[in-house]
Amino acid sequence: MDNGEPLSKMERGTLVTIDLKRDGVEDLTDHFHHLPCCIKSTGPASVSHYFKPKPTGIEVDGLPLQEAYFRGRKLDGTTILLPNEYRGFVLGKKSQDEKNSSTASYSGNSNSWEMKATFQNITYWNHDCLPSQNDDFMRAFHWLTIAKALHTPVTPEDLASTSSTL
Amino acid sequence: MGSEAILLQEWASQPCIMGIDEAGRGPVLGPMVYGCLYCARSYQKTLATLSFADSKTLKEEKREELFDNLKGNESIGWAVDVLCPRELSAKMLKRNKINLNEISHQSAMSLIDRVLKMGVLLTEVYIDTVGDPGKYEIMLSKNFPSIKFVVAKKADSLYPVVSGASIVAKVTRDRALREWVLDETAENMHRNFGSGYPGDPQTKFWLEQHKHSVFGFPTLVRFSWGTCTTYFKDIVEVVWESDKMDEEGEGGSNSGKRQLKLRNVGFTTSKSKSEEIESSGKGRGRFFRTRKLEIVTDF
Repeated sequence: MDNGEPLSKMERGTLVTIDLKRDGVEDLTDHFHHLPCCIKSTGPASVSHYFKPKPTGIEVDGLPLQEAYFRGRKLDGTTILLPNEYRGFVLGKKSQDEKNSSTASYSGNSNSWEMKATFQNITYWNHDCLPSQNDDFMRAFHWLTIAKALHTPVTPEDLASTSSTL
Repeated sequence: MGSEAILLQEWASQPCIMGIDEAGRGPVLGPMVYGCLYCARSYQKTLATLSFADSKTLKEEKREELFDNLKGNESIGWAVDVLCPRELSAKMLKRNKINLNEISHQSAMSLIDRVLKMGVLLTEVYIDTVGDPGKYEIMLSKNFPSIKFVVAKKADSLYPVVSGASIVAKVTRDRALREWVLDETAENMHRNFGSGYPGDPQTKFWLEQHKHSVFGFPTLVRFSWGTCTTYFKDIVEVVWESDKMDEEGEGGSNSGKRQLKLRNVGFTTSKSKSEEIESSGKGRGRFFRTRKLEIVTDF
């Protein structure tokens, strides 16, 4: 899925397209935060002026800890690197002005998405609780290992070696 | 912040008295400071002549002058504990909320502990009460059995040693606020905070000007103060996962009257909305459920 080709699927009768072209897309590595709350607002905010994570110099479970404050609460966080063959994508609805008017007229319910930004790490934050390998968020990454095992094609050699060890 | 008795004076091994007082408990912004002042019991009479009075009744210049005098006085020792506003907010907004009285008690005890560890022979400690004087005294005596405690209302106007401590605390708080460097770097911010008391027009004006729809306020402000409620009426709502979990866990009402009820402030909404905060993996296999991995088909 890394070849930059548009990806399409049919969903409840609506066409969903996701354009994964990465040229000139913003790299949000080191600026991607996952907070333990829902901020009921969508749009830009002056994050770097108000949200100031600081390293604590402490390590727990091999995770270097950071601290930050949001709305009066103290957050404990850590930055995790996405595995090598993975990349984080921020998708957004394709802007309408790129299309000509004839397509726009019937694309009212179309689901066209495009890449807005990518990231290679995530800083995730807990409220009043140190991050650990046992957090749901950390454990979610286990799926990647399992997915790999499930989806890697089995070669005759694999079969041969498995049966010989049985 | 450190204390001044780097070299322990000889008198410190004689029986000593200490006064403890606080400054900046009420303000909605800036640090809360606990200060203490101690001296040999034999110095008590001289201390009474130094014209310390409750710091609030003195003019700022007079307080500064008295503070400089007592710093230069070798028969007196002092120390402060500065609790910065974000520390106060964070403690009062923890999952297990700590109220301001507990924070105050801990701060006062940390000062006693520090002075004892320096090797000062404390035998009597005078302290302005926070909460019920009787209960406070029992707690203090339990923690420091070798010390006689005098816990009183308005101790700062009754005992010169507490008046001295109140000067230490008040001057430290005022200086800290005057020299405060805002952590936030947004444009158009200024430092005309006023006194920090919720009723001060200058403080009100500053709060109105520094309100932010997403971040609330700079970390100079004590978010846990009821005063913030009025300013937060029309800002973006934030729903916390930890509040949701508490709701499920206890459901009981919380203590701490000074503390503000988050639900009334628009930090949280009715229960039905808590579902939209995070994915659940509901209806999937155990592996996915415990990792809250949900399949998203509609976005």
